Amino acid sequence: MNLIIFPVILYLFSAFFIALALKENEKLSGIACFSFSILSFISVILIGKYLILNERIIYFVGGWKIPIGITLMVDNLSFIFLFILNLLLPLICWFSFSYMEKYLKAGYFYILFSLISAGLNGILISMDFFNIYVFLEISSIASYILVSFGLRIEELEASLKYTILGVIGSAFILIGIGLILGKTGTLNIADFTFIAKNIEKKQLWFILGLFIAGFGFKCALFPFHFWLPDAHSLAPSPVSAILSGIFIKITGFYLLIRIVSNIFIMFPESKVILIGLGLVSMIYGAIMAIEQNDIKRIYAYSSISQMGYCVLSLGIGGYWGYLGAILHFIFHSLSKSLLFLNSGIIEYKYGTTKIEKLNNLVEEMPYISTTGFIGMLSLAGVPPFGCFWSKIIIIIGAIMSHYYGISFICVIVSIITLGYFLKLQRNIFYSKSEGVKTGENNEFNLNLLMPVIILSIFIFLSGIIFSPYYKIWIDKAVKNIESFSYESLMEK
Amino acid sequence: MIIYIIISIMFLIGIYGMMVKKNIIKIIIGMNIIGYAVNLFFVVLGYRNEGIQPILVPGIDIKEFVEKAVNPLPQALVLTSIVIDLSTICFLAALSIRIYEKYGTFDLEKIRRLKG
Amino acid sequence: MNKGMSEIVKTICRIVSPFILIFGISIVIYGHLTPGGGFPGGVVIASAFVINLLAYGREKVLLKLSLNKSDILHDIGAILFLLVALTGFIEGIFFLNIFDKGKLFSLWSGGNLIFSNIAIGLKVGTSLFLGITLLSMARIFYKKDKIEYFEKEEDIK
Repeated sequence: MNLIIFPVILYLFSAFFIALALKENEKLSGIACFSFSILSFISVILIGKYLILNERIIYFVGGWKIPIGITLMVDNLSFIFLFILNLLLPLICWFSFSYMEKYLKAGYFYILFSLISAGLNGILISMDFFNIYVFLEISSIASYILVSFGLRIEELEASLKYTILGVIGSAFILIGIGLILGKTGTLNIADFTFIAKNIEKKQLWFILGLFIAGFGFKCALFPFHFWLPDAHSLAPSPVSAILSGIFIKITGFYLLIRIVSNIFIMFPESKVILIGLGLVSMIYGAIMAIEQNDIKRIYAYSSISQMGYCVLSLGIGGYWGYLGAILHFIFHSLSKSLLFLNSGIIEYKYGTTKIEKLNNLVEEMPYISTTGFIGMLSLAGVPPFGCFWSKIIIIIGAIMSHYYGISFICVIVSIITLGYFLKLQRNIFYSKSEGVKTGENNEFNLNLLMPVIILSIFIFLSGIIFSPYYKIWIDKAVKNIESFSYESLMEK
Repeated sequence: MIIYIIISIMFLIGIYGMMVKKNIIKIIIGMNIIGYAVNLFFVVLGYRNEGIQPILVPGIDIKEFVEKAVNPLPQALVLTSIVIDLSTICFLAALSIRIYEKYGTFDLEKIRRLKG
Repeated sequence: MNKGMSEIVKTICRIVSPFILIFGISIVIYGHLTPGGGFPGGVVIASAFVINLLAYGREKVLLKLSLNKSDILHDIGAILFLLVALTGFIEGIFFLNIFDKGKLFSLWSGGNLIFSNIAIGLKVGTSLFLGITLLSMARIFYKKDKIEYFEKEEDIK
């Protein structure tokens, strides 16, 4: 089953090929990057067809078997993340054809874009601790550079803060991997779960704490979130869409699911930590988002809040908890990317994203206001759209595990989310005062508009029609988290 | 046992340098020290008492070699980790050059223009 | 401006740097028999050029190995590594070692290890040299209505 490595190889080849021949010519490098991402999406669909019949795909690199060699694995849980990642990347690449015209040396942007995609795809397919670390570092370093791509003053400072905190998080993860190597002598995930049954639980607490702190840096849980508002709001808009829509979820949330539920199974202390941190970051994000003055900062704080929802639901556990976490990931990543691309179009045309300067845009940009409205309603949890289902399932999961106070706080934070989004919508698009408007209506830049419209149609339909796909993919993925045994992979 | 205490002291000095100091160059040096500490930890993990080097030369007894050789797996991981840290520090050095040209100073207190 | 260092330093650097280059190449090629391989060998190859950069200044070194050439070389190194990994597809699995493994302890006994070592040594060496040279020559280009972008140093991929 050789298709499993195709996403990584295609993006790596695109990065090296653009660096060799096409750096000067911006149009051609954009087209090359877009075609490679379409090819990668097709290969992910073919992997999905193969996965309907079998339970998981395992691949031994170089022919070496389990304790000796590196293995790659895709199962139902990784496939959901792979699908969403490879669905969003061609759309963001298409968006940045026109957006990157305002930046010099846009050829380097496509190289870094391919590298970050290769790293994210590599994290999802690897089954070896050190392999995860190498791909994590590839995508992290590419994202440090991408945040400061425009080289204005604020972007440089935001990238500095992001780099320093990111390096500390990676150092924690690396020490955890070293301790695993010391305790069990192996770095393979299947081998580790096999050997770790004979070790006392107490000796693994320190490693679990290091991992939660390290991955908490990457997904902006409460004490480690200080880099997120600056980095996501000052980066160029396609970069913000990648970072806030996919990156913090794969490098933070997906690896937390793997480590906490699959590998270190049933530590009740980890549940308490995750519930606590998720709750505090949920409330903190919602409260700080009310009084901001800039569209992208509001979106960045709302990212902290929604990631708190996901981690809280992961901590509650059980069938409904895991189901709520995965559904909330899917709908939030689609909605947040749509919102960031939306604000990118506003920034492209008017040059500013502050609320007090933008008024009454619905006359000039009917498409943008409609799609922005759909995105904000979807994120706030209004019934026919996506996030309503996931928030209801999270609240049901909290009630069924007798956490009544937590479900009450979930409902209140959801109402606050709806509040600030409606304020944002009213002030930008529908208020009646004068602002910075030009008289022309050149909104029909097809490269910028089409990805936004495609994403909004997808969100609009997905809330209604996702129940057939539920039985095929999502149900199996949740059962994967609950009762996964790596023992069947040991071929000794 | 003493070597692990020294490694943790070095790691804490690196974290102190990165979080407390206000000059960007000192932050970069602190990042270097963290890298040294973590790589040293990896190499020391594979040590065996009275071990010989894990290189196969013609004319050596295989059984004695397997019993006495030092574990070479962490040494291969350290090579990758050194190159990753090197490229992060290279990027931060270039970033600090750009910050100096815009702000005129390396002091982190004066670079804080963003609030919230 | 770039007068370089004193006479003693210039003479010694000029004499010693070819030997450092050959030492680096031998670390790369014998990577499957002695300690070393792609990464450390590449660093030693880069330092053979950087010694001349420190002693003589930037313009003299760029006459020997210009920026355009090292730019092309480090991309070729990366693509070569991917191609070596893809030759495993002939027998079915990624990264499989399909070359003939000859006698033990001779030069041709590693299969495709020697090719991947050469590719990585080439890439790391030229990338490091490019990075250090570009860090020492930051220049500014302004454009009126576009967002400013400086000639940025190329990170090691």
